[in-house]
Amino acid sequence: MTTSRYAPGTVVALLGTKRGLFVLSSEDRKNWNIDQHTMQGAVVYNAKLDERTGRMYATDNNVFFGSKLMLSDDEGTTWREPRKGIQFSEESGRKLTNIWLIEPGREDEPETLYVGVDPASLWVSRDCGETWQLEEGLENHPTRERWNPGNGGLCLHSIVPDHSNKDRMWIGISAVGCMRTDDGGKTWVHANKNTRQDFGPEIYPEYGQCIHRLVQHPTEPDVLYQQNHCGVYMSENGGDDWEDIRTNLPGDFGFPMALDRNNPETLFTVNLDPEGRYNYGDQFTVYRTKDAGKEWEPTTSGLPSGAGVKLGVLRHGMCADALDPAGVYVGTNTGQFFVSPDAGDSWDLVADFLPPINSVTVSVVR
Amino acid sequence: MSVRIPGQLLARTGRRNTVQVEGGTIRDVIAALDRDYPGLGFNICHETGELRPFVNIFLEKEDVRWLQGLDTPVHPGATVHIFHSVAGGA
Repeated sequence: MTTSRYAPGTVVALLGTKRGLFVLSSEDRKNWNIDQHTMQGAVVYNAKLDERTGRMYATDNNVFFGSKLMLSDDEGTTWREPRKGIQFSEESGRKLTNIWLIEPGREDEPETLYVGVDPASLWVSRDCGETWQLEEGLENHPTRERWNPGNGGLCLHSIVPDHSNKDRMWIGISAVGCMRTDDGGKTWVHANKNTRQDFGPEIYPEYGQCIHRLVQHPTEPDVLYQQNHCGVYMSENGGDDWEDIRTNLPGDFGFPMALDRNNPETLFTVNLDPEGRYNYGDQFTVYRTKDAGKEWEPTTSGLPSGAGVKLGVLRHGMCADALDPAGVYVGTNTGQFFVSPDAGDSWDLVADFLPPINSVTVSVVR
Repeated sequence: MSVRIPGQLLARTGRRNTVQVEGGTIRDVIAALDRDYPGLGFNICHETGELRPFVNIFLEKEDVRWLQGLDTPVHPGATVHIFHSVAGGA
């Protein structure tokens, strides 16, 4: 690693867009610099600055020449491919369509990373992303032949390594649902009880739900939250069953979800019109709950409104940092980047006229 | 034979837009390209060996899809061109 250009405590935001990766930074979450537009021309679904190692990762999903994972050891200035990247074997008959997500492993395994792809598969690296192996347990799941893709493909888009148990992990696949392993990935069970599927003949099937985003409570490891195509849910038993926490939200539909790590009953979602996939009415709104979904409140201070305001946010287009008060970050599919430095009380438009934003991730430089 | 490399793949070839390889068929040419420039084969074909749908390979002026596909014979001294499909509107 080269020496970081950023002072400790600097918040670095990575915006994966339809046309490259934008790197922004701020020392106070109010004044921001756009430091780089890198990987220009690449379709970046996801990018991460790994706080554990300082290495940066990004997905390059090229419609012509295939998808690849890229690594940077100089905070995005130069990029290279892993020594052994993500490719299926010829014998598998599978074709890599898109790389959706890069998820760092647990804090005490700093060389481990996970990646989720379409077609739904989980990949792991134990050497900081240099070489990648397919997790065979999921590959051989007995229901796999009946999995159906959502509109974005058969994508494995959420990976939650349990911070309390190295053998337990949850994943989210559209449109398969939530799955859990309790044995380090050897076997997987569906974990969708009481989550709805409004687009099939059975409302509560074992699997086939369209989960959109999955997050874990930072101190109560059995508590999970998910934004689903058909509602917002909480589980208090590791996904054995789920409770609908949509309550007073205007609708079921949305893609992203974020959690305030210092107040983990505080969650954020962006409720969207399911047809247009943009905000209801004329006010772009981020919804917040402070009591794990018993009640949701609209946060709008600083967010745009008007007859022409129709903004959408994709599943990885929102995140929160680990600071207190939490910073919340939202990138839209029309190229706006909003930041709230005070857990949703107020919002600033930090950047506009960007390409459509696929993902927003933030890191705090150590 | 000569193989013309498209701009998006020049990072694979050290910025050389024309490279020399040997092979009796287009499939052999792709295998030779991947041997000389690791990763280039994956950019041209899926893991399953099929030509990617938006990659077009021309033997001289003929699209090999209208010849014998990847099994199209290639004669010594030929020029093979690799392009991606035109992509307006996306």
